[in-house]
Amino acid sequence: MSRLVKLSGARIYDPTNGVNGDVRDLYIEQGRLVAAPRDGRPADQEFDLKGRVVMAGAIDLHTHIGGGKVNIARMMLPEDHAASLVSGERHPHAGCGHAAPATRTAGYRYAEMGYVACFEPAMLPANARQAHMEMADMPMVDKGAYVLLGNDDFLLRALRDKRDPAFIRDYVAWTLNAAQALAIKVVNPGGINAFKFNQRKLDLDEQNSGYGVTPRDILLALANAVRELGLAHPLHIHGCNLGVPGNFETTLNTIHALEGLRAHLTHVQFHSYGTEGDRKFSSGAAQIAEAVNRHANISLDVGQVMFGRTVTESGDSMRQFAGSAFADPRKWVGMDIECDAGCGVVPFRYKNQNFVNALQWAIGLELFLTVDDPWRIFLTTDHPNGAPFTSYPHLIRLLMDKSFRNDMLATINPEAAAASTLAALDREYSLYEIAILTRSAPARSLGLDGFGSLAVGAPAHITVYRDDADREKMFSTPELVFKNGQIMVREGRVVEEVWGTTHVVHPDYDHAIEHELDQYFERYMTVRKDNQRLADDEVRDGGRGALEVHATQPS
Amino acid sequence: MSESQPFTDSTTPPAAQPAVCPFCAILCDDLVLARKSNLAFSITRNGCRRAKQDFARAPLPNMPRVGGRETSLDAAVKAAARLLKRARQPLFGGLATDVDGMRAVVDLAERCGATLDHAHGEPLAAMARLLQTRGWYAATLSELRNRADMILLVGVDLADRYENLARRCLRPAQALDADTLAARRIVYLGATPPGALVAGCEALKCSSEAMVDVLRAVLAVLKQQPLAGTRPGGLAADRIQALADHLRAARYSAIAFAPARLPAPRDPALALLCEIVDELNRTGRAALVPLGGDDGGQTAVSTCAWLTGYPLRIRHGVNIDYQPHSNATAQLLADGGADALLWIDAYGRLGELPEGARLEHSIVLGASSNPRSQSAAVFIPVGTPGLDHAARLVRTDAVVSLPLAAQRDSGLPAVATVLKAFEAAL
Repeated sequence: MSRLVKLSGARIYDPTNGVNGDVRDLYIEQGRLVAAPRDGRPADQEFDLKGRVVMAGAIDLHTHIGGGKVNIARMMLPEDHAASLVSGERHPHAGCGHAAPATRTAGYRYAEMGYVACFEPAMLPANARQAHMEMADMPMVDKGAYVLLGNDDFLLRALRDKRDPAFIRDYVAWTLNAAQALAIKVVNPGGINAFKFNQRKLDLDEQNSGYGVTPRDILLALANAVRELGLAHPLHIHGCNLGVPGNFETTLNTIHALEGLRAHLTHVQFHSYGTEGDRKFSSGAAQIAEAVNRHANISLDVGQVMFGRTVTESGDSMRQFAGSAFADPRKWVGMDIECDAGCGVVPFRYKNQNFVNALQWAIGLELFLTVDDPWRIFLTTDHPNGAPFTSYPHLIRLLMDKSFRNDMLATINPEAAAASTLAALDREYSLYEIAILTRSAPARSLGLDGFGSLAVGAPAHITVYRDDADREKMFSTPELVFKNGQIMVREGRVVEEVWGTTHVVHPDYDHAIEHELDQYFERYMTVRKDNQRLADDEVRDGGRGALEVHATQPS
Repeated sequence: MSESQPFTDSTTPPAAQPAVCPFCAILCDDLVLARKSNLAFSITRNGCRRAKQDFARAPLPNMPRVGGRETSLDAAVKAAARLLKRARQPLFGGLATDVDGMRAVVDLAERCGATLDHAHGEPLAAMARLLQTRGWYAATLSELRNRADMILLVGVDLADRYENLARRCLRPAQALDADTLAARRIVYLGATPPGALVAGCEALKCSSEAMVDVLRAVLAVLKQQPLAGTRPGGLAADRIQALADHLRAARYSAIAFAPARLPAPRDPALALLCEIVDELNRTGRAALVPLGGDDGGQTAVSTCAWLTGYPLRIRHGVNIDYQPHSNATAQLLADGGADALLWIDAYGRLGELPEGARLEHSIVLGASSNPRSQSAAVFIPVGTPGLDHAARLVRTDAVVSLPLAAQRDSGLPAVATVLKAFEAAL
């Protein structure tokens, strides 16, 4: 008979199943949660967890963990690593990195914070193989990626030529299969491509000069394709005009442009800026939150800014080019990539005495505290763009502890503090709500069955915290982290290196499109179509990894 | 995956696919092979001169050597493990391998406290330094092919390397925008103009030593600053002016260059190339296209970076120690900073062991019949990625990577397999 493990007496926070702090026992067998044995069979091992807080393993649905721009950031920033070296005694493998950690170090640190799954939100089709190789070398967590479309010349040509929506849908489905992705991402729709034609900005209804299509056209085409393919996760949108004062209006217009289609707006903090005040920079969080509250089709993640050094990594070459003037230290890389997309990597330091940075910090918190439905907002820093993911425990404390938040508010640039409504926001997140933001909601949004849940039958991904009024301390070092029933972290330290599964979708499509794609790659690209495509075995990568194909529900 | 299997699954039926060429970092994937013998190939379509030679080479006999004498793989692995165990400061050099080979290199290096550097470590380190001090704006090969209406080739010797760039990117049969292709101007700057290899290529001939002066003059003209001297780098000022005008007038200028072909020290020329592109990007569009990282160089840099955070030249101790100057192969071998050398040459193109290497302290995983390598303390013949085993390699642009299928059954082990055996024997 297989081993039975009992976790007894903890307070359980499992919003997926409506459990809010009830004291319950959990049983684990063969890597899954099971019901209490009816025959009274004793557990082979019991953990007395009285007074502990137990949640499902956490999920980060937007974190730049793998792919070309992440690797550029690693190579660019030895000074980032020198201050954060990790010995082979501390972790199973030596590593380094604060803003741009090595793959292994990132995996260990995520696990040490109680995370069990991480999703790379900007995988380029042309770079998918490398992104998957990097993620394959990230231990501890499950992973997956959203593949980038909307700046590729193939799609823009198809839209210019008014191809049938079914053709677009087939292309989207082919791309998801070829890149082994879980969802579709669009970054500055049409804008990355427009920058290759020397356009320096592209508003929602402005035409890309190469193809005459607008961001609105692109968003609608992709959001419709995603809906028709029946992907669990809606189109993941990094909108136009990132970082531009006044862009909250673009964001509101984007919400309206979607015409009720489901969509996820990412790192919305960077898209919530107004132009009021002497500095012509103000918070648009209230307007955004109000729109999100009224539009049940919209979800968002925040992309919270934290003070300190980091690096911004984005596919948005157009906006990163503009941002490169603020690089700190003064170096940056931009790229035009494979008629596919682009990237920009700009090191940055968010300073709490800088008006703009301080207000960015406040705007992110305003969004967290004014969007009503915790099921439609996710806890992210857009790692590492707003801050490294290791700042999550601090962020959780800011959300849960108003007096701490006000203490922090008192330390930032006073003009920014005065320009923010933060001091007037009394909301404090509960443990139940934090469990929604970091577990239940991302699992539901991504369609990850069993994740973010402590129901019988779910894989035993469990994080055990010591309850502590200092929520930062509590969430920094979980007492135990189980993945598939196995203890991988004790007292915030990795005790067992485990390897995760890659989550993908393989939607069906009309294979007639393969012929046209063959010709396109043959005529114009520098790889053949079949070499762009990743086979399942590549993702399994020698058997250490695994592949889970999630169902889609085409309409 | 098993070593001899290409990456296939039920969704991609195995077919007679064109081969990917592993012998330089532009990784052409349209080579049509014909079997010359059981183990060697001729290329019937799309092969460059260099690829034709390399595909025609038969693999080495599968005979490891210890002290120059033939032995079994098992005995060679044991001898290598003994040598590595004794070493206090081993150097893992060459590193001409694939992604899985590099993963095994990094793991073994951590186990042995080894230093890592690639055979082309100097130009690779120059690019890393450039990245770490200022960065750049770059484009990938398909952008070069489709986007640029002005291409400046700097110092590249297409007859020697990257010959297929002409067919695939510079003068391709088709591009996304036919007008861009029709209007494309190509200018060569350097000592070895491509001649007939690139139709309609204008040559600005200068020695590689004069390159920096010419680039400085081009930048000055772009910035509307006065030229230093009347013939910068030996070129007439009006020709410099014309080049700058073409770069400025283009809708998209691409500057392709090979860091390895720039005169050392490379930093001044590299910085000027970046500055020229930055200047052009103030009002128009331009990008660099670096061509380098051959013999698995880009693969080694990229893989090492994601696994460790650093682009090679690290030494594993309690912590990872990144010292791009002192962890260089030549430096370590010259000053006795390495007491053992593991040299990896899976493409068989690296030639002699590096200067200062002592045979009695060297382990060679090789694919060439170089007699000196074969008389190293341990010599293990290994398969070439994309010929003897399936592999993945990272292209020169550090964006695209390609899957390579095995083409023949030589029985030679992959570098990764041998290194894992070393680790097991330790």
